[in-house]
Amino acid sequence: MQIQNTNQQSEINGLVERVKSGDREAFMTLTKLYQKKVFQLAYSYFHNKEDALDIVQETFLRFHQKAHMFEKGKNFQNWLLQIAKNICIDYYRKHHKKNNELRRDQNIEEMDHASYDSSHHDPSSDLKEVFSRCLEKLSDKQRMIFVMKHYNHLHYREIAQILNIALGTVKSLHFKAVRNLRTLMSPYIGRIG
Amino acid sequence: MKDCKRTTRNLVAFLYGELDEIGKKHVETHLETCQECKDELLRLEEISDVADSLKADMEKAFVSVDWENLPSRIADGVFDKKPTRERQPRRAGLWPFLFQPRYRLAYAGLLLGIIVGAVVTFLIFRSPPLQFAEDGKIIVPLGFYDMMELEMARRETIDFLDSSAYLLLDFVQSSPEKSAEFWQSDFVSQRAKDLLSKKKYIDPQLDKIKLAKAKVICDQIELLFFELMQISEELSAEELGKIQRLIEERQLLLKIKLVRKELQKNEV
Repeated sequence: MQIQNTNQQSEINGLVERVKSGDREAFMTLTKLYQKKVFQLAYSYFHNKEDALDIVQETFLRFHQKAHMFEKGKNFQNWLLQIAKNICIDYYRKHHKKNNELRRDQNIEEMDHASYDSSHHDPSSDLKEVFSRCLEKLSDKQRMIFVMKHYNHLHYREIAQILNIALGTVKSLHFKAVRNLRTLMSPYIGRIG
Repeated sequence: MKDCKRTTRNLVAFLYGELDEIGKKHVETHLETCQECKDELLRLEEISDVADSLKADMEKAFVSVDWENLPSRIADGVFDKKPTRERQPRRAGLWPFLFQPRYRLAYAGLLLGIIVGAVVTFLIFRSPPLQFAEDGKIIVPLGFYDMMELEMARRETIDFLDSSAYLLLDFVQSSPEKSAEFWQSDFVSQRAKDLLSKKKYIDPQLDKIKLAKAKVICDQIELLFFELMQISEELSAEELGKIQRLIEERQLLLKIKLVRKELQKNEV
């Protein structure tokens, strides 16, 4: 297993080296290998396909520009997700923060009652919407950690590497993220009390 | 109780399979006996379930993406992009060094300091605004009248010295034989009288410190004019010539000129 990992690592390193010298094929191979991971992270952050595809494109563009900064012994996936994470946060601040703040000013309960009045009422989609808004209320870091853990199934160790913080901090922020979500969601979920 | 606190902190990591064997065993053992922590775990599981509800949308979006062609589209965007303009080599010299963008904050601070300094200086040194009493009359600041009086006295003194100098010059330049008539003529005696009455008017102000030097010379002139007007009739031509020479020897005209200049400099 270890040997397989090492081989894979050296293969990736080789591809990155080729990208540095302007090899289009190597760039496409790496994009094929990691595009879904980046998409998954971006989609779970924005819940929007178009935004997620923008992030994927921007991440690989940034990778091409910064390939010379990649250090050989490092984990390529974590390095790439680090780039994607930074782009997600910048993109969110640039395009979404204002809109979401306006939306957030609308009481979540108001949104619920409005939906219940409609004839095509779907309780699960309401809950999804409420959850999505609650997720946006978390701090950037808590939200990113929750998304990475829950939707990208990354280990705390990997998240720590990507966010460049201590393992204990990841654990603590994840705990706070879930606890905050539970508090925010408590009026909307039956069993929680 | 202490165990509950520790377990609660580990529940999220437990739920997401991030605890090592020992930690996992500890939580499991605790949950067997603690209903409160078991309920807390249920609540957290519920959040996890709600979060899972978003996964279906993600899967839908995932399926709808053309993964096969996406890499080549991205590569087109990356490789077919026009090469970015090469950065100009940094110009050497003092000008570019001084105006580096990283100094912006310092320059902004400096500019702000200058503006604040200018405003403070203006506020401190500006002349106080005119104040109006309720009936519309202007209230002048304290000491304004003293300053006005001093300035008027200074001007009167200069005027007095000027006129005296001309009169004395006429006297000194006249022949000793005619100088007695000079002082008795209507024109000169009237001028001398005017000057003596002006001297009486400026006397109180001459006592002020700034005009102390002028007072000495004005007193001398006053005494001289007074005496000449009174006794010039009785004096011989020789004695009047003596007075003329005395005026020249004592350089009275020069002294008047110097005091006058000094007074002109000391405008209030």
